[in-house]
Amino acid sequence: MTTASTANAAPARSEQDVLRAQQWALIASLLLKAPDRGALDMLAGLTGDGTALGQAYRVLAETAASADVDAVSREYFEVFVGVGRGELLPYASFYLTGFLNERPLADLRRDLGMMGIARAEGRFEPEDHIASVAEVMAGLAAGEFDASVLGCGAAGEAGFFARHLEPWAAQFFDDLAVTPSARFYRAVAEVGRIFVDIETRAFALEAKAHRASGAGARGL
Amino acid sequence: MPREVLRVAVLGVSHPPANKWAVRCTRPAALMADLPTLSPGALMAEVGEVRTYYMGDHAVVLHSGETAHYIDNLRAARPSIWVSCDGGAVTLVTADPYEGEAMASDPERLVEALDMPAAIARQIEVFIAAHHVGEVFHKRKRVPATSTTDQRAPRILPAEEKWTVTRGKGALPPKGKI
Repeated sequence: MTTASTANAAPARSEQDVLRAQQWALIASLLLKAPDRGALDMLAGLTGDGTALGQAYRVLAETAASADVDAVSREYFEVFVGVGRGELLPYASFYLTGFLNERPLADLRRDLGMMGIARAEGRFEPEDHIASVAEVMAGLAAGEFDASVLGCGAAGEAGFFARHLEPWAAQFFDDLAVTPSARFYRAVAEVGRIFVDIETRAFALEAKAHRASGAGARGL
Repeated sequence: MPREVLRVAVLGVSHPPANKWAVRCTRPAALMADLPTLSPGALMAEVGEVRTYYMGDHAVVLHSGETAHYIDNLRAARPSIWVSCDGGAVTLVTADPYEGEAMASDPERLVEALDMPAAIARQIEVFIAAHHVGEVFHKRKRVPATSTTDQRAPRILPAEEKWTVTRGKGALPPKGKI
């Protein structure tokens, strides 16, 4: 995986990156709105190997197979929408500052503006909603978006992740796992938690390898 | 909102004009807690050219939401009642110092802060004791998200804080076509 992907050349993505993009997109789609019957059936078809992530996917598939669509949508409402507020506030600003629409959202909007990403029509949550940031990560992994334009220290996919997701995503998935109403979403939280953990460690390893190769001396 | 109306008598003093172009005007000069049986505008005393008029009795309305202002007033060196005159007639009498000073900023008005009679002060104290609700001013400041002392919104909404319909029409099933 290269941090300096060029958008015009559209390099062939490695299979690993395609899979990462799919996982980010799956997490984003589940956190964006409650899954319908078709989505649940698709989830029920997932299989996992013996790794922690594989086991989490297997549990998610079993949960989805036995889940009731109305119950899941009700649960989504209780956890993310609620009356007054949901049980969770899945926004970067809230997790980092304790308040909504704070500086983390401003930073994210600035970065998205530099990357040329705008909020889609009919999406009303602020951009620092976990699903929106996960969608951006999916786009970065798939090579649709280019994060190399961001400033020094935040450039590339690793920089974007480190700045906008790493400080709070793990905490969010932990909260999602223990929130009172979560049944189906407890399995989603497990997948998300393990996946974010893997991403964090992978980016750290990559940075370490990058430094060891001496590439840091030549700049980005 | 509980409120209480006190009546206070206003005395006005008019001094002789200082020069031949000035005209006499009556300025509120003193307050009395017990109301005399005089009609408003009656001449009460005349010492040389200085005349004292009775300017009528007026309502001082105490509002329970402004007890903090009355406390500030009573704690001041000279507890006062603000009397506002418009065109020679008293239009408003208030025990709220902030309202009084706001009226004083209007150049069209003649506003005087007069010493509060002791009886009125006692009545206001009773009103404060009955209705004052102490509110601690809490300045919101940025603290790290990891702070445990700051009262911030909980990351996970506790079950007891969740909104549920318990009473009223909302608890009934929605009306509509069967």
